[in-house]
Amino acid sequence: MKLALGQQLKVRTMVQMAGEPIPNFWPMRTFIHHNPLFGLEHMAFADAVAEGQRLFHARGYLPRAQYQRYLSDNRIDRTELSARIRQFLAGEPAIGDLDLPAVLQALMTACPESLVDRLQLADADDVLASLSGQAPPVSDEDTMVQARRLLAETHDIEPLYVSLDRLFGSEIGITLDELVVKSCLDFFDEGQSSWQMPGREKGFYHAWSAVARHNLRLFIRGMHISNILEQDDSPEGVISYVMHELGVPEDDWMAWFTRELTRLHGWSGFIRWRSTAKHYYWGRRYPADLVDYLAVRLVLGLALLREHAQRRRLPGTVGELRDFVNAHPEQAWLRMELYGGSVLPEMAHAVEDAIDSRNDVRARKLFPDYLARKRAHEAGFVAARLTRLAGQAGCAKSLMRLDMAGMDRLLGLLKRFEAAEGSIWLQAHEANYRQRLLAGIDLGTTPAREKRPFVQAMFCIDVRSERIRRHLEHLGDYQTYGIAGFFGVPASFVGLDKGSETHLAPVVVTPKNLVLELSIARHADDEAFVSVLEQVFHDLKASVLSPFVTVEAIGLLFGLDMFGKSLAPLAYSQWRQRLQPERLDSRLLLDKLSREQAESIIRVLQRAMIVKAVNRELGIGREHLTDEIVRELRETALENREGSTGFARQFGLDATAEQHFIERLRRVYHINSGDARIQLEQLGRIGYTLDEQVRFVSTALRSIGLTSGFSRFVLLTGHGSTSENNPYESALDCGACGGNHGVVSARLLAQIANRTSVRERLRQNGIAIDDDVWFVPAFHNTTTDEIRLFDLDLLPPGHLVYIERLMNGLSAASRLSAAERLRTLDYNDAPAADPARAYRDARRNAMDWSQVRPEWGLSGNAAFVIGRRHVTGHLDLQGRVFLHSYNWQEDSKARLLENILTGPLVVGQWINMEHYFSAVDNEHYGSGSKVYHNVAGRFGVMTGNLSDLRTGLPSQTVLKNGAPYHEPLRLLTLIEAPFEHARRAVEGIVKVRNLVYNGWIRMVIADPQTGIFHLFEDGSWQQQRVGATRPASVEKEFTA
Amino acid sequence: MIAKLFLAAVFLPLYPLSIPQNALVMRMKSPWLRAILLLVWPQIGVAVLQAAPADISNGLVIWAMASAGFYALRLLTVRDLGLWASMLASSALALVWGLAANGADVWSLRLFALSFSLPAALLVLLAGQLTLRFGAAYSGLYGGLADSQPRLAALLVSSVLAAIATPLFPGFFGMLTLLHTLDWGFDFGLLLVWLLWSWAGFLLLQGFLFGPVRQAARPDLSGRATAGFVFLLVVLVLAGLALRGGGL
Repeated sequence: MKLALGQQLKVRTMVQMAGEPIPNFWPMRTFIHHNPLFGLEHMAFADAVAEGQRLFHARGYLPRAQYQRYLSDNRIDRTELSARIRQFLAGEPAIGDLDLPAVLQALMTACPESLVDRLQLADADDVLASLSGQAPPVSDEDTMVQARRLLAETHDIEPLYVSLDRLFGSEIGITLDELVVKSCLDFFDEGQSSWQMPGREKGFYHAWSAVARHNLRLFIRGMHISNILEQDDSPEGVISYVMHELGVPEDDWMAWFTRELTRLHGWSGFIRWRSTAKHYYWGRRYPADLVDYLAVRLVLGLALLREHAQRRRLPGTVGELRDFVNAHPEQAWLRMELYGGSVLPEMAHAVEDAIDSRNDVRARKLFPDYLARKRAHEAGFVAARLTRLAGQAGCAKSLMRLDMAGMDRLLGLLKRFEAAEGSIWLQAHEANYRQRLLAGIDLGTTPAREKRPFVQAMFCIDVRSERIRRHLEHLGDYQTYGIAGFFGVPASFVGLDKGSETHLAPVVVTPKNLVLELSIARHADDEAFVSVLEQVFHDLKASVLSPFVTVEAIGLLFGLDMFGKSLAPLAYSQWRQRLQPERLDSRLLLDKLSREQAESIIRVLQRAMIVKAVNRELGIGREHLTDEIVRELRETALENREGSTGFARQFGLDATAEQHFIERLRRVYHINSGDARIQLEQLGRIGYTLDEQVRFVSTALRSIGLTSGFSRFVLLTGHGSTSENNPYESALDCGACGGNHGVVSARLLAQIANRTSVRERLRQNGIAIDDDVWFVPAFHNTTTDEIRLFDLDLLPPGHLVYIERLMNGLSAASRLSAAERLRTLDYNDAPAADPARAYRDARRNAMDWSQVRPEWGLSGNAAFVIGRRHVTGHLDLQGRVFLHSYNWQEDSKARLLENILTGPLVVGQWINMEHYFSAVDNEHYGSGSKVYHNVAGRFGVMTGNLSDLRTGLPSQTVLKNGAPYHEPLRLLTLIEAPFEHARRAVEGIVKVRNLVYNGWIRMVIADPQTGIFHLFEDGSWQQQRVGATRPASVEKEFTA
Repeated sequence: MIAKLFLAAVFLPLYPLSIPQNALVMRMKSPWLRAILLLVWPQIGVAVLQAAPADISNGLVIWAMASAGFYALRLLTVRDLGLWASMLASSALALVWGLAANGADVWSLRLFALSFSLPAALLVLLAGQLTLRFGAAYSGLYGGLADSQPRLAALLVSSVLAAIATPLFPGFFGMLTLLHTLDWGFDFGLLLVWLLWSWAGFLLLQGFLFGPVRQAARPDLSGRATAGFVFLLVVLVLAGLALRGGGL
């Protein structure tokens, strides 16, 4: 059977749309910080959080108790809190003579848990009765109606097995998830398993279905997969078949699909990203998309449902489930209570007994009693807490005077307030940080310098750069700048000995140009003995048979490694590094090739391939070949000449053997005109034109306001991290470089900026760089705080006399930064350590394979400042602020500001949101503890051996001793520029405007001309003078 | 004689004569009364059994093994800690018949019974503490005890391990003695029962200790109460080693 094409397209479209709320998940090799609610960014923050709670069952704000701790630590602004409560109550009528602001304030600050969230059955009447110490009035009829209504509400559109699990405790969902994860691991494996799923090139669904038809284990479990797979060949057809079999109305399909896809949102997100990543090798080779994934999931789900329907006589379709609930409402209610985890503890045993007896009469008999007790329980709970609350608010008597209508309104108000409470806490928390930051902002003019600084150093905007920049500036005549770590040069980079491209740019940018790394001098025999040995060990570990034969033979060697890494990580690692071969000097190929050059390169490659082919296929060494023979073979393979070759005659190949060899040259070694054309196109991607190179340097310098007064040294400092045994290593690398080390980008811009031709053109464009100015690439290791200079062999001789001073300064800043940072890593918050000792400890951290927290990474990030360094230079920002240098006077049309907002700010917001949500609900939005993580398929991690792909940050990155180390705040963005100038830029970019208007970013424009801060608050721009504690709401300027 | 054997089968519970014991435990609300009942009940049984003049037939041992097996199986689905403790005691105490049939003296029978009824008594006391905090001692209703109530969780684990006769606790030595005493056919059944206890213990603990905390914070067991429980467990281990471990 085959589903009609139109229907197939319809199903495909539905699945794609159903997957919209699921955030992409990038492979962990290049961890991309992202907003877990990226798909909901079109909504207001509070609404998106609520939708996230519905879809992912995740919390969007911290628990009240944690906010109360922040309040007692003065990290939350009490004035703001009171103001927000008053704002909430603005439209609310009075309730009796209750002091509502005081009640709500007491609820937030003195009541540790929610008050009304468990109020399901009890009403105002019951609470009033409980308040006066009486039993709730008997009203079975009302309660039954209420119970039925709740029962109907809980079976909104959701997969059938979810409803069954809740009603029968069947755990079909858990079994299904396990089966789906196993299938995904088999298919998506990227080399971790020794044996892979056969036929993967056909795509996920087809490869899986071919295996599943013969899966004996599924058959033995009673899951008859083949019967379902036979219904249609295409995944779309199977999806349609399953949905019809389950009796789901077509209008509900999309909502159903969304629930299915969000169930394992890590895997869905990975598959979704993979299907759109055109450059991704594994995705191209083994294609898969959400339609395949959903088809696999639905087939397994239907087979499981059928098996349960047969074995346990559970409802097998939506209709049967509805009939069951309608026929046995009492039993259904009790089941939902028991298996849903909300049963009254003291009645749990009685309820379970009644359900297990399968006697509907017993359930019916128990039901009214149960409902009455539950009502009384709820009413008693709320009454006790209300009494305490009113006492704390000083209005206990007012509470007792309330009539039923008043109590009803009070309960309604409290319910609404508790739903909005998270947002109120968050705003008060943010207000506190904002006031502290704004109080320190200096909008005065930058004092003129008498002479140029010793060094100008560009660092990534990353919050970790702030510390080292501060120390460097404090130590001497260093001027620092913040710029996105790819330095504005998007590159697809192919490193030395690497066969694939790495994108060095923020993930929102797709680089078009290719940059190759070439070694300066290389010999074929340079491969070191140690490297070969490592390769052999790796192969042994991956082999299926090796455990049987190698443990006794070489196990001790692994033991040595283990003891070294465990007992003396720093010394052992230094010893191992000495065994490694020296890294070869290299240069980056970054100039555009002419057609002649490109053709010449292809010719060289083809000749090299022919030499290799002759050796491999016929065992003939290079010494027996002349250039003429190679040329003739190449021409023949490219069909530029016909007839027998001198090569065949010389080595005695008959016509068939010769033809066979030529064919292999064309097919296997790609020596043919078609491949040559493709290679030519690929070579066209290499490098940048001179215009592009000039534009990169010019934009980078102008965007940070550095257009004159250049120092002798201009450091371009990329950053990255080093850690052992850490699948999250790339999460600590440079986000602006796509989760890679930033040193290549630094080398790239330095190489461009040091070129005479580029400088000449820059001079014509108004940026005069003196001849003695040298751009030096550097690498800031954020785990150790070490700064290492690169390409020093290119340094002009005149600069060498200054290099020691430079190195000393950098080294001192590294040690000071390490001392400051290590204090925060220490579990006991010990006082500042000796800088040299701290530096050594930081290096040990980087080498210690048992270290679950080598550094805090970007944890703690809270703000993004776009402006001159002068604005924040005097502040200790505690490594919490992204700093992008910007001088509005160099940017009359605000184009540079727009670039900053579109790229770095958006990336900063992703990073901020990743941290925010991982901190507020680490189990759902984060990835839980690293301790239980296992690498899955070399692209992700799972908790235990089978779980969803863990997408967010681990608890060790955002929590300390179980409480948030990262204070979850939305990114406070401060732009130092005239209000109109900045507002136009913010509102001119749809993406950024939406982020600001929807409350994903808190925006402040600091106007240096007027000294006024303009805050976007409550849907409008509001003014705040320097030193004021709250924005003046009366001074609204523009309403969003 | 039959009347005495019948009476012994009530106190050293053989199904269905074991029903009164479990019903009584479930009926009693006070954890202390439950504990006393679990401690005293089998000792009465041993006394009655000793007073019965006749040898215990193989048929009675088979009945006892079947009874132990039945309750061990039932344990897999029981989530109420009090009932779980009572049923585990029912399952274990039925095995006294096996020892008695092979001529064990009254002292050995009393110790064997005590080595199972004492951990069961500890469990019902812990069930009382859980009920005090959460309204019921019911596995799977509120998870995360390991995080939220570490003392209570540790005592619960230790007491369950004692109850299912893991090494060092006296029940373990009692089971070894019984294995040594019985024929291989009975041994097979006994090992199966032992395995089921372990499985049931694991399921029970899983429902209490792990998973997200679903209840508001409650205070953990006080230091004094913890010390009392620990003392009893240590006494149990030492007594087991001294009185039963040394006898192997």
